[in-house]
Amino acid sequence: MRRRSFLPVTFLVPTLAILLVLSMVPTLYAIVIALQNRELSTPGYSWVWFSNFADLFLDRRFLNAVWVSVKWEIVTVVATMVVAIGLGVLMFEVAGPRLRNFYCLLFIIPVLLPRVSAAFVWKFAYHPLYGIATYPYRLVTGGLIFDPLSKASTALFAVASVDVWQWGLFFAVIVLKLLETLPPQPIEAARLDHARRWQIHAYVTLPMLKAPLISLMFVKMIESLRSFDLIYVMTRGGPGVATETLDMYAFSQGFIESGKVSYASAMAVLMMIATVITFTMLWKRVQA
Amino acid sequence: MKPGRLIAKAMLALAGFLAVFPLLWTALNALKNNVDIITRVPRLMFSPTLANIGYILGRDSVLTGLYNSVIACGIAVLIGVALGLPAAYAVARYPNRFAGDIQFFVLSLRFLPPVAVAIPLMVIWLQVGLYDTLPALIVTYSLLTISVIMWLAIPAFQAVPKEIEEAAFVDGYGAYSVFWRIALPVAARSLVGAVAFSFVLVWNEFLIALMLSSSNAKTLPIVASELSQQGMNVPWGILNASVVLLSLPPLLFLGVLSGFLNSVFRQKKS
Repeated sequence: MRRRSFLPVTFLVPTLAILLVLSMVPTLYAIVIALQNRELSTPGYSWVWFSNFADLFLDRRFLNAVWVSVKWEIVTVVATMVVAIGLGVLMFEVAGPRLRNFYCLLFIIPVLLPRVSAAFVWKFAYHPLYGIATYPYRLVTGGLIFDPLSKASTALFAVASVDVWQWGLFFAVIVLKLLETLPPQPIEAARLDHARRWQIHAYVTLPMLKAPLISLMFVKMIESLRSFDLIYVMTRGGPGVATETLDMYAFSQGFIESGKVSYASAMAVLMMIATVITFTMLWKRVQA
Repeated sequence: MKPGRLIAKAMLALAGFLAVFPLLWTALNALKNNVDIITRVPRLMFSPTLANIGYILGRDSVLTGLYNSVIACGIAVLIGVALGLPAAYAVARYPNRFAGDIQFFVLSLRFLPPVAVAIPLMVIWLQVGLYDTLPALIVTYSLLTISVIMWLAIPAFQAVPKEIEEAAFVDGYGAYSVFWRIALPVAARSLVGAVAFSFVLVWNEFLIALMLSSSNAKTLPIVASELSQQGMNVPWGILNASVVLLSLPPLLFLGVLSGFLNSVFRQKKS
């Protein structure tokens, strides 16, 4: 009976058609714009083919943005996984069922916040004179000023800490749930062999969870691409270009500074190609 | 108690404190006069004021932003439900050789950098005269909601016991009424979580809304970020109040979403 139904066609085709149109039109159009020389201020345009791309590779600010993006990706992904595994294991070890539920609820809160809200919350907290997060430093040093967001060496880490605050805590909940799904026997066996607590996790439970943890890291890598809101609110890419990621630079080229839409689009196209290729390859490996 | 255990408990407590304290502090600052915020030593005791919240709720720009956010996100989520759930059901229950490709395609939409979508869309909406309107935003957000709802609903439908559906077929239900009257109600709990998640996602969305609106269609996140652009001259209390207003709707879904997480992992266990 199931086989003869037209349901798959009527349910799938409209949705997939709409998704295809909604995603392919902007994607293809982004490539078209990247091959022209459109600017927001002037209505006319002509085809310049690949000269936008050629210019990009000579643009030192673009190369800087690539480097900042790579740094951002590595810092946030690694720190998120470390925090998540650390706190997940801690909850698994020392918290009873009720306490676990309580912590889980607390740890989900930051990730639900709009990125803009999270960015504001921490921008206030990091304020050198009146911030709550810099207060301990002022207290200990007797009023010295520490301004993490306006120092080139710390700004990226300060913004990244907000990202980890949101995702690391959330992933800790997932790590805990994953640990809870494991069968108890291997853990018992390791305990009988006098393995220490950390050894049990390092050599038994975490290796058993390798596949879901890698998937989790994959998700974080995708979500880390969306750094724009945090950086836009907290530093605007500054100080200088210390936190200027690719999407921030594309935005400021296209909208704030010069309105060079085509140039910005060329950047976006390069980002798109790089991410689609990287993540498709990673996904195939994760699935395999 | 062993010292190691005690340290572990202390670290957990610290993490729990760090998770919520910054937000609570912001909420507290929303109730403060400026003199109580701009202090070198943070003040816990102060005479509370509702002036900031009153100011925020009395501003046209904030109310318009709130209206735009509710309409744009609400309709986009409805479209996502109407198109995403049936498609997810078809993938989950009528396996064909494209099922894997379809799932990958839906996920790959998430790889697209938002800038790469927003720049061409801005040019397109400008050309068709819909730039800075809610319909343009709704259509763009639908891409997000449809794909996310579909992605999360596929496992939810797969978790519905096949036997129930088979029994309904034997009782003479057609394919469509099995979907409406069996699969949807049975999977409802997980589906609500998926839908809530998609709402939070578009409510929190910033970059696309920033690029696709200039005055009329600004959503709440854009309005809130603009308040701060006037520098630190804007009383901090007002900024804090706007952050609180912006953060409340997603937090309303805290219960639903943590229940959703639990049900996802309970399925895995069984």
